[in-house]
Amino acid sequence: MSPDEPSLARLMAASQRGDRAAYRALLSDCRTWLLRYFARRIAPHQIDDLVQETLVSLHRKLATWDSGRPFLPWLAAIARYRWIDALRRQRDEAELGDHDAAVAAEDEAVHARLSLDHLLTRLPPGQAQAITLVKIEGASIAEAANISGQSESLVKVNIHRGLKTLAGLVESE
Amino acid sequence: MNDASIDELIEGLAGALKPVRPRRVLRGGLWVAAGWVAGGALLLWLFGMRHDLAAGEAMAPLPMLAFWLIVALALAASWSALRMGLPGVGRDYGGWRWAGLAALALPLTALIIGLGDSHGALTEMRPDHGMRCTLDGLIAGVGVGAALFAWLKGGAPTSPARAGWVVGIAAGAAGAAAVALRCSSNDMIHIALWHGLAIPLWAVAGRVLLAPLLRW
Repeated sequence: MSPDEPSLARLMAASQRGDRAAYRALLSDCRTWLLRYFARRIAPHQIDDLVQETLVSLHRKLATWDSGRPFLPWLAAIARYRWIDALRRQRDEAELGDHDAAVAAEDEAVHARLSLDHLLTRLPPGQAQAITLVKIEGASIAEAANISGQSESLVKVNIHRGLKTLAGLVESE
Repeated sequence: MNDASIDELIEGLAGALKPVRPRRVLRGGLWVAAGWVAGGALLLWLFGMRHDLAAGEAMAPLPMLAFWLIVALALAASWSALRMGLPGVGRDYGGWRWAGLAALALPLTALIIGLGDSHGALTEMRPDHGMRCTLDGLIAGVGVGAALFAWLKGGAPTSPARAGWVVGIAAGAAGAAAVALRCSSNDMIHIALWHGLAIPLWAVAGRVLLAPLLRW
């Protein structure tokens, strides 16, 4: 069952007061939410790492949630920041290996706002296709080159440029 | 990494939990106000107030209008920067842009005046006529810049680059507003160029120097 906004907000308020049981429950619910959030945004083998990084960031930035505001947009902002950071690391590493196929995620209002599909429509088609094939569907560079008709180096360049543009687009949302 | 390691992480984080005091924009606003007052007071204490204000008279209309435009920009940018410290998808941090757009009336006015009197404009544009005001503005903005930086450093700005720009604009405008209380010039070219120059200089400094330090 997916965690709902009022329950999360209550748990978060208790967590800010130092209630460890509430915090444990909150982090568990956040894990569930984050697993779904990242499912269509990054290669499956990276999701657990990203969830953990986001939970640590949540812990460090606990005081930045304002109880007068909804919790999920706050959590989504932190998750998005960690996601962009992961995209940047991928771009910098230029490490483009084989990945598993990603699972579909359910959409929610907050998810929809940052839907990857929506963002990809704002990239040039070649970049969007290269990112979709390699970073989301888990194809290798060679497979992506075959499917898209781009050369392998062009696939790499399109991924590099596309991720850079994507990070900028997401930050401006 | 797997479910077990996430479980361990959750246990560890829960065990390390301590009560936190939620950050409030109002408290950050008090830091900014204190930084602004400190920067402005230091400038006026060191170099005195402009002659009309010191004599208890009102500022001339055009400098007063410029002063309030710059104050509005400083307030709007500070407010946006403060809000950037408390993240949330869908929040709008762009309020400062409208004040920035309004403040562009200053260089535009200066440009039109300069086109009508190019000799006078060239005189006012000489660095020895105004560089001092720019330097004063840069220094007077340090209080606001430091307050906003400290606030954001403890917060969670999700776009450090943009936050760096906005902190710089707020600090530069705060400094330029303080200079307007010190400098006796009523010339629009002088005000727009030498007072206003502190704003882009601070903005670039915010983007280049502060933004990398705001990453978390």
